[in-house]
Amino acid sequence: MGCVDMHDTRKPLLRVGLLLYVLGGFPSCQILFAAQPRQPDADAAIVVIKQLHFEPNQVDVKLGDRVKWENQDIFTHTVTAEDGSFDSGPIAPGESWTLTATHKGRIAYHCRPHPNMSAELIADGSGFSANAAGAQGTAGTLKWRPPTGPEQIHPILVNFTAALLPLSFLSDLLGRMLKRKTLHHAAFWIIVYAACITPFTAAAGWWWKHAAGAGLPAKLITVHQWLGTAAVLIFISLGVWRWRIHKQDLIPPLSYLVSALAGVLALVYQGSLGGAMVFGR
Amino acid sequence: MKSMFIAALTIGSLLLGPVAEKASAQAPSDPQIAGIVQTANQIDIDQARLALKKSTNSQVKEFANQMISDHTALQKSVDDLAKKLGVTAEPSDTSKQLKQQATDESKKLRGLSGKAFDQEYAAHEVAFHQAVIDAASQTLIPNAQNAELKSALQGAAPLLQGHLQHAQQLEQSLKGGS
Repeated sequence: MGCVDMHDTRKPLLRVGLLLYVLGGFPSCQILFAAQPRQPDADAAIVVIKQLHFEPNQVDVKLGDRVKWENQDIFTHTVTAEDGSFDSGPIAPGESWTLTATHKGRIAYHCRPHPNMSAELIADGSGFSANAAGAQGTAGTLKWRPPTGPEQIHPILVNFTAALLPLSFLSDLLGRMLKRKTLHHAAFWIIVYAACITPFTAAAGWWWKHAAGAGLPAKLITVHQWLGTAAVLIFISLGVWRWRIHKQDLIPPLSYLVSALAGVLALVYQGSLGGAMVFGR
Repeated sequence: MKSMFIAALTIGSLLLGPVAEKASAQAPSDPQIAGIVQTANQIDIDQARLALKKSTNSQVKEFANQMISDHTALQKSVDDLAKKLGVTAEPSDTSKQLKQQATDESKKLRGLSGKAFDQEYAAHEVAFHQAVIDAASQTLIPNAQNAELKSALQGAAPLLQGHLQHAQQLEQSLKGGS
């Protein structure tokens, strides 16, 4: 279910799923999660949380519609999907949380601290995407704005991280197969770029997570953030290793290529986690 | 399981027994009801604070934090309502016995640690909330004279039910982890 992503977004690094974003998913993801100046939620369906009830108890929306939960109670509540596809995290009294429907579906949800509070969300698609840190999702504008928030910067940087390592690996692989030294040179420079840019990708991911606060799918976030952090070390190690090979004017040994391939596979997995958070499982 | 049963009996007898015994002779007045609610709130807050101090289990800590947050908010609403209605909370036999029982339970909890503490705390929370729900529905709400007080007590029922359910989940989860 789509909504969940937003949660991820806050995660660090290697959303190599970046590659997926670049090839197709990213534009829509950016539109869904782009942080905008706060705007009135006049077009959002409202669910009021009051006296330990969700009102209305069932809300029907169309794809692209937003649903806003306003906590008018004196207690802190959450909006937590039964299937784990979204979780608002704590919504304090007086605060609100917004979700964007991105897929068809019927999802039961409840309040984690008060399990007897339950309700249902029905979309004529099948999923939802929640906005991070209260940012308003835009309904689909193509207008470009300079990235200012981590939810924009991280996905942008992820594209580079996700693309550079596979490119470097392929370039070395082709260099060995075709016996072309220029391809090895290209591979060297590409991995250097990847090692330079990936720490920024990870930092943006951590920033996003911090800005988003609680409510991210715990398991996905934990794995994503630490795999992303590990990826920084992997990229730097591969960069140093590849630099030494280059300096000695050698052809990368099989052990290096296997390591790089392992890095690529880790990136693919990392991307799938990012995708699960943004677009749902 | 055994400890929960004992806790349920103890709390139940303390909350319901004295009130029930006196019901025929003297139903609790609105100030006494306010006093009982205030005491029950404070007991749960204090025991949650103890759990935060003693437990290292993240689920227990999360639950305890929720108890503090919710019961503090509930207490504030009760205080505000009492002020508005001009009702001053008064002690009663029930509130006094509640306090005594809470002191005993706290002593017991202080003597435990690790999983034993967590399980006793969860079992006590289940029993405590069940007893409070029963007392509210059988004694406090029927005897409340002021309509707003009665309505506020009725409004708190879903909160207590939610806490009971959460406490039951916690208790099960702690059993599963053993």
